[in-house]
Amino acid sequence: MSFLQPILLVGLPLALLPVIIHLINQHRHRTVRWAAMMFLLDAKKMTKGLARLRQLLILAMRVLAIAALVFAASRPLAGGWIGLAGGKADTLVILLDRSASMEQRNLETGESKRSAALERLAGLVDTTGHHSEIILVDSATLSPIVLTDAQALNDLPETGATATAANIPAMLRTALDYLETREAGRTDMWLVSDLRQSDWNPGSGEWETLRADLAARESLRLFLLAFPGIEQENLSLAIREAKRQRAPEGWRLVLDLVLKRQGPGAESGDSEVPVEFTINGTRTVENFRVSGPELVLLGHSLPLSPGNERGWGRLDLPADDNPADNTAFFVFDEPAPRKTVILSDDPLSAEAIRAAAASPTEPGTTCEALVLPSNAVAQVPWQETALLFWHAPLPQSGSADATLLQQHVASGRSLVLLPPSDEGGAGLFGVKWGDWIGGSEEPLPVDWWRTETGLLANTRSGAPLPVAELGVFKTRAFSGEILPLLRLKDDHTMIARVVTEAGEGSSGSSSGSVYLWGTLPRADHSNLATEGVAFFVMVHRALEAGANAVSKARSLVAGKGVLGDDPEVRLLDGLDPDGAPVSPGLAAGAWESGPAGGETRLLALNRPESEDDPRVLTSEALETLLAGVDYRRIDDEVGSGSSLASEVWRAFLVAMALALLVEAVLCLPPRAEGETPNPLKSAT
Amino acid sequence: MTHDFLDPAVLGKLLGLELNARQPMIGNVAGRHRSPVRGSALEFAQYRKYVPGDDTRRLDWRTWGRTDRYYIKEFEADTNLRLCLIVDTSGSMGYGEPGSTRLDYARRLAGTLAYLAAQQGDATGLYSGSAGFQKETPPRRGPRHLGVLLDQIAGLESAGETGLIQAIHDAAEKIPQRALIVILSDLLFPPEPLREAFQHLRFRKHDVSLFHLLDRQEIDFKFDRPTRFLDLEGGPSLLADPQLIQRRYREAVQRYLGAIDEIVNHSHVDYHRVFLDEPYDQVLARFLLGRNPKTSRSAR
Repeated sequence: MSFLQPILLVGLPLALLPVIIHLINQHRHRTVRWAAMMFLLDAKKMTKGLARLRQLLILAMRVLAIAALVFAASRPLAGGWIGLAGGKADTLVILLDRSASMEQRNLETGESKRSAALERLAGLVDTTGHHSEIILVDSATLSPIVLTDAQALNDLPETGATATAANIPAMLRTALDYLETREAGRTDMWLVSDLRQSDWNPGSGEWETLRADLAARESLRLFLLAFPGIEQENLSLAIREAKRQRAPEGWRLVLDLVLKRQGPGAESGDSEVPVEFTINGTRTVENFRVSGPELVLLGHSLPLSPGNERGWGRLDLPADDNPADNTAFFVFDEPAPRKTVILSDDPLSAEAIRAAAASPTEPGTTCEALVLPSNAVAQVPWQETALLFWHAPLPQSGSADATLLQQHVASGRSLVLLPPSDEGGAGLFGVKWGDWIGGSEEPLPVDWWRTETGLLANTRSGAPLPVAELGVFKTRAFSGEILPLLRLKDDHTMIARVVTEAGEGSSGSSSGSVYLWGTLPRADHSNLATEGVAFFVMVHRALEAGANAVSKARSLVAGKGVLGDDPEVRLLDGLDPDGAPVSPGLAAGAWESGPAGGETRLLALNRPESEDDPRVLTSEALETLLAGVDYRRIDDEVGSGSSLASEVWRAFLVAMALALLVEAVLCLPPRAEGETPNPLKSAT
Repeated sequence: MTHDFLDPAVLGKLLGLELNARQPMIGNVAGRHRSPVRGSALEFAQYRKYVPGDDTRRLDWRTWGRTDRYYIKEFEADTNLRLCLIVDTSGSMGYGEPGSTRLDYARRLAGTLAYLAAQQGDATGLYSGSAGFQKETPPRRGPRHLGVLLDQIAGLESAGETGLIQAIHDAAEKIPQRALIVILSDLLFPPEPLREAFQHLRFRKHDVSLFHLLDRQEIDFKFDRPTRFLDLEGGPSLLADPQLIQRRYREAVQRYLGAIDEIVNHSHVDYHRVFLDEPYDQVLARFLLGRNPKTSRSAR
């Protein structure tokens, strides 16, 4: 329990006064020479139980009354749900989940989970008095900020709404690292979260070290302020892809949409959902019938009027309890040429790839392919290249070639690493080439491939690619942190994607993808070139992913630094739910970068689709994640109006009054004095 | 040895009262008390039919003249009285301030009664003691014996546990003829054995009187703060808060006194509950007057 005047607690030993007085009284007894011991023994025997209990109760009530008085004078604090055990900490660390799902609101009060948490925490700091230091770590920036005033919590840009996801393990790590460097003393750490599984990432390998580090800090108390409420009948909307296509009648906009329903009735029943389309300021409304929890609408086409070949737009759902997932932004422009560079000294492989990469897949798009020798890295047009095939030993990490490749990927472009024929080279991107496998005339059969995502995912219509027809005679093994996309017999991974720190490498991420192909499109290695469907699709999917980075209209997931260092970034349209200033890149919206009047690029920022996943951590899962960590969970609800701490001195005064009342009742003689038996009257 | 427990003023005041037995006594010399044996006293007792062997000098010729039948005329025989004092000398008899303890009070009563009996020409004896220590002086007459007896009364000391029950049984066995037994005790022990002891005395045809000596504090139990009670009979001491146990204490006293009353009534004991703050001359006067046939009848 916390106290506003803890110094007064030094008076707590005064509660022992009744006991001390009682003992002194007992010690100060007088001594009498007595003859009638037989009556005394009888009386003592008969009064041993109840009288003793009564006396103890009286003493206890007196002690309780004084203790309650001292406690009341110390101005104790207690939470709306629980008492906050312990005293005031030296440092208060607030870990704020600012993910889009935290914008769920109470429709009556308009209060969101995030704003409710901020209000509770500000109230807690105000009520408990100032901590020597208040540190804020928000999920969007992961940068510790020192606050001077609790009220600043509500006004800071670092506490505003965002369209980002949260990475709870990273937040905890940031806070722990900060505390480690500052050598903070007694610390209260308040973690605010809606317990979304996607934010907590229970599969992360970071949790093990986090648990150990949290448990090792004895001066740290972890409080989890949770808002696990599930939205009631919430609708969310996401755009997976928006692109401009040429049609016979002119340009058109093709959108891939996902509509999700949450709530009790999401699994059954149909509902008509009106979606408002805004393209370059022009609004139209279209109704969609949603059956079940999800509607995936691929290739939804909208005609673009002349003059609107370039622009931005947004899709809006009717207002519900989470406004952050009702809107999705998109931008579109003339597709940039999809340029592929093949760095290879193997003409057979290079030609097969060039042929596939140079063939356009859609009308209106231009595909180019350039083959260069493996030692001609300097000739690569990095700015225009969407996809690079690297058919050479992996360069040493830190070398100029390695840095160029890393920058290429970091800018959102795609890289395919092909197996060098002889030496594998050093390790890069956390992967390394291994030994060659196969080499006989019998092909290695395909055992499994990933169909839901990646280069070999099923087509939009759901049909699988003819991957099973592939024949692989020779493949090279590789090792590292990878996501397998295709495995051969005997568990040999042939195609994989490198798992990078930037995330899953999806199209919306600002970072590009790195793929590993264990075989080559030449006859002595595989029939990729001859059975070309799968090969063609793989090349163009990698190319399409990288093309987004070189496109003039690019869709990205909101996040810190996603807009880059360009100082000339202008907001075209965006979500500003609270009217609070939000750092560029963290809120959903349509942006334009580049000098005004010059060549500019369009950017659409949206929340990650994982934020629409309503699954929350179960208590058991949370216990597992924080096993061995001393933490206290406080479940709150938006709009409950409760507070984390409030003064409860009145309760102690009431307790004191009750104790005195009970003491008075117990002190009453069991019978009036006149009714005390008179032995002489009765006996004679 | 000084006999300061005897107050000449009290003795002078009480000398006018007779010490009587409630029933005929059997003495060995002539005295002022009735005897169950017919004798030559002046007081007529009864007529009875003549049987051969009776002394013809005791025939009532006037009755023969009126009824033509032979009757013997019998008269009361007056004899002396044996006063046996049984004094409890257990440790509890030492209760009270020095000089005015319960035993001091018992000394005054016993000494005064012995003096009064001796003045009437009656024999007096003393039985006293506590557990494991008994002292007895058989009843005798004469001023010399009175001096010895008073010395013994003066030398009584209170100590140890009570031995009153044993002393009563011993006295009942050792006193050969009817006597007036006066018991002086606080009776602070479970009362039930008293019943048998009194019946023993009654079986021996003794006239039993009991002076139950109590202090008012022992009844009222009025203390205002925790007190350690030291047992006068050597038992363990007891620390108690009297306010907590007063009620139960009084209930125990009430049950005890009720039991004593029942026993003395059943045993026809002349019972006197005496509080130590009462003047002993008044106690004795009440006792003597209660035994005087004339005053007790008029009082009745």
